[in-house]
Amino acid sequence: MNHLLPQLDVGFRLYFRNRMALLYGYLFPTIFLVAFAVLYRHESVPLLRHMGELLTVTALGGACFGLPTTMVSERERGVWRRFRLAPVSNLRLVAGTVVTRYFLLLTAAALQVALAMGIGMPLPDHLFDLWLAFTFVSFAFLALGLVIAMLADNVPAVQALGQCIFLPMLIIGGVAVRLESLPVWAQHISAFFPGRYAVEAIQVSVNGAGLAGARFSLVALLLIGVAGCLAASRLFRWDAGEKFTCRKGKPWLAVALAAWIAVGILAEYTGRVPAGQPGTLQGAQVQGDSAAAGLDNGLDMEYGQMPDPFASRPAPDTVSGDAAADPGADAADPGDAAKRVAPNARGNLSMEEGSDNDYMPASWQDVTARDIIRDLRFDRLPDDRGVIAPVATKRDRIAPQPAGQLQCVRSSLGFWRPGRVSDPVQQTRNFLYVAAVPDMFQFEELERWVPLAVFDHLRYVVGDERLVGILYWIATHPDEGNVSAASQLPAVCLDMGGPGDEETLRERTAFYALKLLGRITGDIEAE
Amino acid sequence: MPAKVTIRDLRKNYGNVQAVRGVSFDVHAGEILGLLGRNGAGKTTTLECILGLRQPDGGTITVCGFDVRQRPREVRQRIGAVLQDTALQDKITPREALYLFGSFYRNSTKPEALLERFSLADKADAALGMLSGGQRQRLALALAFVNDPEVVFLDEPTAGLDPPARRGLHTEINMLKQQGRAIVLTTHYMDEAEKLCDRVAIIARGQILAAGPPRALIAGSGAMPQFRLETSHPIDAGRLERLPGVQGLTCEGTQVRFRAPDITPALAELVNVLDVEGVDVAALGVEKAGLEDVFLELTSASQPGNVVPDRP
Repeated sequence: MNHLLPQLDVGFRLYFRNRMALLYGYLFPTIFLVAFAVLYRHESVPLLRHMGELLTVTALGGACFGLPTTMVSERERGVWRRFRLAPVSNLRLVAGTVVTRYFLLLTAAALQVALAMGIGMPLPDHLFDLWLAFTFVSFAFLALGLVIAMLADNVPAVQALGQCIFLPMLIIGGVAVRLESLPVWAQHISAFFPGRYAVEAIQVSVNGAGLAGARFSLVALLLIGVAGCLAASRLFRWDAGEKFTCRKGKPWLAVALAAWIAVGILAEYTGRVPAGQPGTLQGAQVQGDSAAAGLDNGLDMEYGQMPDPFASRPAPDTVSGDAAADPGADAADPGDAAKRVAPNARGNLSMEEGSDNDYMPASWQDVTARDIIRDLRFDRLPDDRGVIAPVATKRDRIAPQPAGQLQCVRSSLGFWRPGRVSDPVQQTRNFLYVAAVPDMFQFEELERWVPLAVFDHLRYVVGDERLVGILYWIATHPDEGNVSAASQLPAVCLDMGGPGDEETLRERTAFYALKLLGRITGDIEAE
Repeated sequence: MPAKVTIRDLRKNYGNVQAVRGVSFDVHAGEILGLLGRNGAGKTTTLECILGLRQPDGGTITVCGFDVRQRPREVRQRIGAVLQDTALQDKITPREALYLFGSFYRNSTKPEALLERFSLADKADAALGMLSGGQRQRLALALAFVNDPEVVFLDEPTAGLDPPARRGLHTEINMLKQQGRAIVLTTHYMDEAEKLCDRVAIIARGQILAAGPPRALIAGSGAMPQFRLETSHPIDAGRLERLPGVQGLTCEGTQVRFRAPDITPALAELVNVLDVEGVDVAALGVEKAGLEDVFLELTSASQPGNVVPDRP
């Protein structure tokens, strides 16, 4: 490593003197971040869900264009020819170049994460895993960049080759367009691209269960990286006068391609290709056999036709709970809660203008219809079909793939520990978090459906009569209660970390409380 | 004392083209060998084979006692080179370049010492793109000396330099020779080769046509002194053709040029002719044959001959 230090030292200095390199290396990733933030409604939490895509684009751009452009332009100028006059191996020179580029990619990625956190994104769940995943991703893509550098005879050829790989990877490789949005044939093709493995490895480190759930992706990236390095070493050329078509060893290119094909075949063989299936490569992994059963049996079922998951469950009043021992128990200090700033849900949407704000019921048990009429307005709630706090109608058809996962959610709610706490207000809040968090994460395939499952479950478990007071209380006291249950969603088949942005969580919870309350009171006509 | 560079029967083909055909020569410590030839003669390919940039198809190359093909790293530890079509990154500074290249060798000279030696101290931290042609060439030379080499290869080191820069480089090359280094130099400047080289090898079509000390080559060649004459009014060319041994006669108005093997008899007969014709001499000059004449004579005829005689 000591031998590499002068090369790294000079490499960094040269890089930071090159305005175009800085533009591509740091400004573009920042622009991508801003674009993603704008695209996803300026909200902080969704960025967390898209860090896999963002960081993959950064690594891919640096590998497909940055590394080979530098190498080929230096080769064209005769820099590598000059290096060759020194007693230095091509391995050392290439390793120095690649390691320099890796650190540059790492700093660009760190900048993206830091900026994202600066605009409110929560800290990624598994920082070490994230570093490890990004290292694997960089390795695979930099090896790809090396192959491009050896194939291209000049810089324009790098651009052409780079685009041939970059654009398909973005569009049908699962990098810029989510796999769930792609037709099935494209999902099958994406299995042969390293992009989707890169996105998954990073994403599960950011807000998933960590790299333990992405072993296949790591192996795929490693295999693609090793094959690329091997092919590039065999195709290495110092001299611009030595054209690729005149080179010996061209069959080594097949080794790099073979790795992509092998990974794709393996993914197909092990059933990992279609997005959203159990154990698939996307962030939202469905857990448990019930999900698989849902997939097998309920692919075309409408929401209303789904079987009642609680038919054989114990009655709610027989469920035991210990609020003191349970993390979901209401442990908030009332004095502290009183100091909090109320979120928009209450201030902007729910309180009727000109109402008598001096009177408030003393507890949820004291809530009357008059309180609801006086204090709440349901016509100001976000539209059910909008992007904030959406709710599916019972006529909507759920897509086949998330149907299994929704089934799993429904099945799990009754066993969910935070749903069994003794305090009915906290219990209701906890269930409402199950609806609010997928909305915050813009979990598009499920975010409209989970609220319906939660509503059904709450009406079944708590009962409409008690829910009226409880939901009123939650809507008018959004700052109260414990939010730790929002981090326990993997237990209800929603494999996502805590949202981090507590204020938004409380706001969305209040929205859903009102939406359910309106349905119970008849103020909202459920379609 | 064994030669620092020994080349025997070197051969290199590009497809069907024989770029180098059985070249052989030696270079000893403290000696400068010049490789002369037209473009495409094979001198750069010969140099590239010695430096390990190209794989020869035949022959042996030994540098500092090591076979170039078998021990390329050992050879590169001991040599320095300035090639025409090599370059550095535009943004790199001379100090950084010397630091970087120094890290490639087991033993290297400190950048500061080389910057001082090659008069680059005041440009040590300037980007390469901001250096003049002469400064860049001095940096290339400094890089070739970063490992204190035993053998130095210079491929047209003064190409594109202005006269003062060329003169400075000549001084530096002579210093290297005095320090006992073996130097292989290619150049298109015949005056440079004549001035710097202990021996030259003239290459054409991949073969060495002639080799030896420049003066010996000139003396041994058929190149004749050249007469330049300006007369008061035009003279009959037929009269001048009778001069003893005259060749290449051209008369353009009052300007006359010709070559003759012996200066004194030719000059005496010329004065007689002018006297008879009643023509006055406005200007007269006689130039002895030089290396350029030898080079042109040999490369025009392209007579093969590929073994360089040992040093005198």
